[in-house]
Amino acid sequence: MTEQLIQVDDLTIAYPMADGEVFRAIDKFSMRVNRGQIVGVVGESGAGKSTIGKATLGLLDENAVIDTGGVSLDNVMVTKLEEHAFANIRGNRVGYIYQNPMTALNPVLTIGEQIIEAIEANTDKRGSAARAYAIELLRQAEVPQPEDRLSKYPHQLSGGLCQRIVFAIAISAKPDLIIADEPTTALDVTVQKAVLDTLVKLTRQENIAIILITHDMGVVAEMCDYVYVLRHGKLVEEGPTAQVLKEPTQPYSRELMAAIPRIDHKVDRFAVPGGLGKAEDRKRAIDYLMSRRADAGKEGEPLLSVRNLSKTFSSKATALKASSDFKAVSDVSFDVFPGETMGIVGESGSGKSTVGRMILGLHTPDPGYEITYRGRNIIDLKSKAEKLAHRQSLQCIFQDPYSSLNPRMTAGDNITYALRAHGTLGREEARKLSGDLMELVGLPRASARKMPHAFSGGERQRIGIARALSFRPDFIFCDEPTSALDVTVQAELLNLMKDLQDQLGLTLLFVSHDLAVVRQMCDRVMVMKAGEVVEAGACDKVLVDPDHPYTQGLLAAMPRFRPEVGHLAMNLRQIPSVHKETQCRNPTASDVLSISRRSRQ
Amino acid sequence: MLNFITRRLGQSAVLVLVMSALVFVGMYVISDPVAVLAGEDFTEADRQALAAELGVDRPLIVQYFNFLGNVIRGDFGSSFVYNRPVMDLILEKLPATLEVAFLAMFIGLVVGIPLGVYSGLNQKKPATKTISFATTVGYSIPNFWQGVLLIMLFAVWLQILPASGRGDTVEVFGVGWSMFSLNGLSHMILPALNLAIYTICLQARLARSGTQEVMYQDFMTFARAKGISRERIVRRHLVRNILIPIVTITGLQLGGLIAFATVTETVFSWPGIGKLLLDSIHNSDRPVVVAYLILITLMFVTINFIVDVTYALLDPRIRYT
Amino acid sequence: MPTDVTTVEVDPVAAADKAEPTFAEKFWKVFRGHPAALAGLIGITVFVLLAIFAPLIAPQDPYDQTQLDILDGLLPPGSQLWDGTPSLLGTDALGRDILSAVLYGLRISLFVALVAVIVGSAIGVFMGLLAAMKGGWVETVIMRTVDLKMSFPGILLALMVLAIFGTGIDKVIIALIIGAWASEARLVRAVALSELKKEYVDAARLAGLSDWRIMGRFLFPNSISPVLVVLPMSISGAIGAEATLSFLGVGVPITEPSLGLLIANGNDYILSGKWWISIFPGLVLVAMVLCINVVADRLRDHANPYLRGKD
Repeated sequence: MTEQLIQVDDLTIAYPMADGEVFRAIDKFSMRVNRGQIVGVVGESGAGKSTIGKATLGLLDENAVIDTGGVSLDNVMVTKLEEHAFANIRGNRVGYIYQNPMTALNPVLTIGEQIIEAIEANTDKRGSAARAYAIELLRQAEVPQPEDRLSKYPHQLSGGLCQRIVFAIAISAKPDLIIADEPTTALDVTVQKAVLDTLVKLTRQENIAIILITHDMGVVAEMCDYVYVLRHGKLVEEGPTAQVLKEPTQPYSRELMAAIPRIDHKVDRFAVPGGLGKAEDRKRAIDYLMSRRADAGKEGEPLLSVRNLSKTFSSKATALKASSDFKAVSDVSFDVFPGETMGIVGESGSGKSTVGRMILGLHTPDPGYEITYRGRNIIDLKSKAEKLAHRQSLQCIFQDPYSSLNPRMTAGDNITYALRAHGTLGREEARKLSGDLMELVGLPRASARKMPHAFSGGERQRIGIARALSFRPDFIFCDEPTSALDVTVQAELLNLMKDLQDQLGLTLLFVSHDLAVVRQMCDRVMVMKAGEVVEAGACDKVLVDPDHPYTQGLLAAMPRFRPEVGHLAMNLRQIPSVHKETQCRNPTASDVLSISRRSRQ
Repeated sequence: MLNFITRRLGQSAVLVLVMSALVFVGMYVISDPVAVLAGEDFTEADRQALAAELGVDRPLIVQYFNFLGNVIRGDFGSSFVYNRPVMDLILEKLPATLEVAFLAMFIGLVVGIPLGVYSGLNQKKPATKTISFATTVGYSIPNFWQGVLLIMLFAVWLQILPASGRGDTVEVFGVGWSMFSLNGLSHMILPALNLAIYTICLQARLARSGTQEVMYQDFMTFARAKGISRERIVRRHLVRNILIPIVTITGLQLGGLIAFATVTETVFSWPGIGKLLLDSIHNSDRPVVVAYLILITLMFVTINFIVDVTYALLDPRIRYT
Repeated sequence: MPTDVTTVEVDPVAAADKAEPTFAEKFWKVFRGHPAALAGLIGITVFVLLAIFAPLIAPQDPYDQTQLDILDGLLPPGSQLWDGTPSLLGTDALGRDILSAVLYGLRISLFVALVAVIVGSAIGVFMGLLAAMKGGWVETVIMRTVDLKMSFPGILLALMVLAIFGTGIDKVIIALIIGAWASEARLVRAVALSELKKEYVDAARLAGLSDWRIMGRFLFPNSISPVLVVLPMSISGAIGAEATLSFLGVGVPITEPSLGLLIANGNDYILSGKWWISIFPGLVLVAMVLCINVVADRLRDHANPYLRGKD
C-alpha cells in the first residue's frame, strides 16, 4: 500500500524583487508523499513551507517563477499545467486547508453556498442531493446541528467551527491529498486538539494523504509519519518523525529541537547560541540600572499586592449597536514577591493581559480594588512626581514586535526619548545610555541610529526590553513577549530575559497562552479562564499535577513534543470525539470537563 | 433593526433642523430683501411697510420659528422674484433635474462598474492601461468645461444635438418629462452625458480598486483551491464583496449629481432646480435659496438612510440592533 | 551540506548597517517605470514655474486696463495687437491677450488652491488628532460637525458660503477651506485611532509622557501619510472647484480672472465660433489638473499594499 502519490524533484521557485534581485522561496527541494501518509513540512517563518503547497495547486503568485524541477501528482507534472487544467486537480484530487479559517471563507456568502458550490464543482451531485451531501459532510466533520449551519455566515461561527467547515469543503470530492497549511495556528489549544482529531479521522477513513505544513513541532510529533525540516527554502533534514525529533543529525535541526520549550521539565537555559554585547558597555548599563534599586523591598514582603481586581468593558450605544457589558476580569487577587516570576496562563479572552494592563495603569479597574506596590496603596500617590516615579517603575514588554516601537523614531530615540522629554537626561547622556542598553540586550550600539523597520522581530523585542529597562524599573509585565516569534528566536529571547532577571533582580509578571513557556520562565503560576483565576500555585505543581479540571484539560490538549517517547500517533481512536463548540470562542466548562475526563480514562 | 431605524430617523431630524437653522441664519445675513424689492421711488415709509409685509422687521429668532412653523405645513413662502409660492416653483423644476440625474447615474453604473471590474481583473492587459488613463482624464476635466466642449463638438461643429433647453415635454402624472419625447430626449443627451462622464470614471476607479483589494484576499485563493470556475468566482465571490462599497458611494454620488446639476444646468440652460438656485443666488431671492437647501438636505438624509439599510442587507457582518 | 548555525543567522550588525534609503532613492522608487507619472511631475514643475514667473513671460499685464484696447477685441490666435505685440492665442472681447490672461489666471488658480488645501488640511489633521486623542465630548463635537459637513456636497456648501459672504479671492479660499478640512479630519482620526491601539503608544504612556507629546511625536508622524497621499488629489480638486465657482459667477472678481472665469468669459462666444477665448484657458486647466492627478494616482497606488510590487 505504499504507492507514491506526490513527487517533488529539485524544485526551485523564485520571486523577482523590486530591486532587481531574485528571492528563492524554495531552493532545490525534493520530497515524496505516499498514499495515506501524513507528511510534515516544518520550518520557521521564511522557510518557504507554504510555497510548496501553493505550487502543487497552481496557486502561486503571478510573479513567481519555477526555475528548476517541479511537482508531480501520480506522475503528471502539475507545475507545468495551464490554469484551466487545474480544474481537475483543485478540490477534486487535492484539497486545501488554509491557515486562518476566518479569512478562507467568504464573509458575505453563507456556509451552505460555499460548501455546495464546491460539491457541485467536483462531484456529480446537484441541487437537493448536493445539499444533503453538504449536511452529511458537516456531520462527518463533527459540526453540531449541520442543517442550521448552512444558512449561517462565517462571522457567526467560532474559528474552530469555521475550520471544520473548511475541512468539509476540502474532503467533499474525496481527494487523494489534503494540503493543510498551518491548520490550527489561529486556534486555541483545546480547540486545536479536537480539530486535529477530526482531520486525522476524516482522512484515515478515506486513506487521504496529508501534507501538514506547520511551525509547531508538537503537532508534528503527534500527527506525522515522516517529516521534512526546511530553512530559508532549503531542505535541512528529512526522516521518520521519531528519528528526526529524537536524533537530529544537522546542527540547525538540533538547535530547533533544543529551542522548543518543554512542559515536562524545566531547564536553566535553552541550548541555543545567543550573542552578548561588549562586556564594558554591558557593565556600564548594569551599573546604571542597579544605581537606584536599593529599596527593592524587604525579604518576605510582596513587591506587588493585588486585591479584588475586576474589569468590565462596556461598549457605548452607537448608531449601529446597543450598549453591552463584558466582564473581562472578575475579582482577581494575588501577590508578587521581589525577584520572582509570576506567570498567568489562559486561552484567548481569558482576561490575562487585562490584569497586567490594569496593574500598569493602562486600564482603570472597576471600583473596589486595591493595588499595593512597595507597601503603598497606589491610590495614595498624590503628587505629580510620585505618580511619575510609580508609573516608570512598572514597565512592560509588549506582545507585537511590529507595533511596539514608534516607527518614526530611531531605535535609540525609542529607548531614551521619554527620559529626555522629562529632562532626566541630556542629549549626550541619552545617546550613551541607549548605546549601552543596546549592547546589554545583545545589539550593537551603532545600530541605535537605525529605524525600527531595519530590525527583525526578535531584535525589535530586544529594543523593547532596552526601552523598558531605561526607566530602571523594579517590575516588568511581560505580555506574551515571544508569541509572535519563531521558536529559536523565542529561546534566545527567553534566555536573555532570564539572564537580565538574574543580574538585575527584576520582578516579572509573565503572561502567556503557552504552558511550556510558562513552565520554563515562571516560579509560580495562575491559570485564568473567562476572567477568573481557576487555579494558582507553584509551576512544578500546577503544570505537572493540576487539581482543577480546566488546567487538566489544557495540559491534556497540548500537543506534546516528546522525542524520547518516539512517534506517538494521536490516541484519537480511543477518544469518541464529540467536542462541542458554541458561538463563543472559548470552550465551555462542560467541554473542558469532558476533555479532561476523556484524558484520564 | 427597528431600534436602529428609529435612532437613525431621530438623528436625521436633528441634522435637518441644524441645517435649516444654519441656512436660515446664513441667508438672513446676505442681503436685505427690502433693498432688492424696493423701487427707486420708494419712501422710507414704503420701505417699512414692505418690511412689515415680508415679516423681516421682526427679531431673527421669531422669524426663524415662524418660518419653521410654515415649513412644517409645507409652506416655504413666496419667491421675491417670481412672486409665486416657492414650493410650486421647485416642484415644477424638480422633474427636469431628476430625470437627467437618474439617466446619468444609470449610464454611470452600467458603463463604469464593468470597466472597473475588467481592469481590476486584467491588470497587465493594454486595454486596462487605456481604461485607466481615460478615467484619469475624464476625472480631471472640470464638469463645466466638459459641458462647454460637448456643446462645441456636438452642437457647434457637428450640429447633431441641441445645445440648450429641455425640448418637448410629455405630461405624465401631471408633470412634464423630456424623456418621453424624441425631441426632449435629444435635448437630454448632452446634459446627461456631461453628468455621466464623471460618474463613469468614479465608478470605474472604485470598482477597480475594490476588485484589486478583494482579489488578494485569502478567500479568493481558497475559492480557487476549491476548484470552482473562474467565472463563478468573479460572479459570486468577487462581485458580492465589491458591491458593498459601490452601494455606499452610489448613494452619495446620487446626491453629488443633483448638486452638480447646478453646473450642468447652467451650461446647458436646462431649466431644473440647479439653475433655479443659481439664478436665485444672483437675484438674492432668499426664500428660494433657503427652501432649496433645506429640501436638498432632506433628500440627502433620506438617501443616506436608504444606503445604510441596503448596506446591512448586503453585508451580513453588519446587523443593526 | 550542513550549515553552521551561527553564520547563517542574520547578523544583527549587517542587518542594521543596511543603509537607510535617501529621499532621492525613495522618490525614484515611486516613479521608476511609470513614464506617465514622471511626465505629470515634469508638467507640474513647468506649470508652477510659469505661474511664478508669469509677469516676466506674459507679453501684456492683463490687469492693467490702460494697456488694453477695445480695437484689439476678439482677434483670432496668431494675430498682432494694435501696438505690434504678437498675440499667440488671440484676444477676448476687451482686447485682452489670452496668453497673458492664461498665465496670470494660472497664478491665481494655483495660489487659491494651494492656500486652501494647505490650511484646510492642517486644520483637518489637527482636529482629527485631537478627536482621536481626547475622545469624550471633544470628539463628539468635532465628529458631529464633520458629519454635518460631509452630509452636504461640497459644491453646494461653497455656493452657500459665497452667497452669504459675497465673492472675492479670500472668500473663495474660505469656502474651499470649509469644504476641505472635514474629510481630512475624518481620515486622520480613523488612522490615529488605530495607531492609538498600538503598543508603542502604551509604552509612551508608561513612560509618563503627556497627551500633547504623544500626539506630537507619536500619533502625528504615524497618522500623516494617508493625508499626504491624498494631498495632490485635494489640490487638483480645489483647482477644479475654484474654477467651477468662478465659472458660475460666484468666485473670483472679474478684475483678477482665474482660469475658470476666463472660460466663463469665452463661453458666450462659443456659439459664434470664437472658440479660442474659452478653449485655451480650459486646456491649461485640464492639463494641470491631469498632471496632478496622474502623480496622485501613482502615489496612491504606491501606498496601497495590495498593489505594491505587483505592477
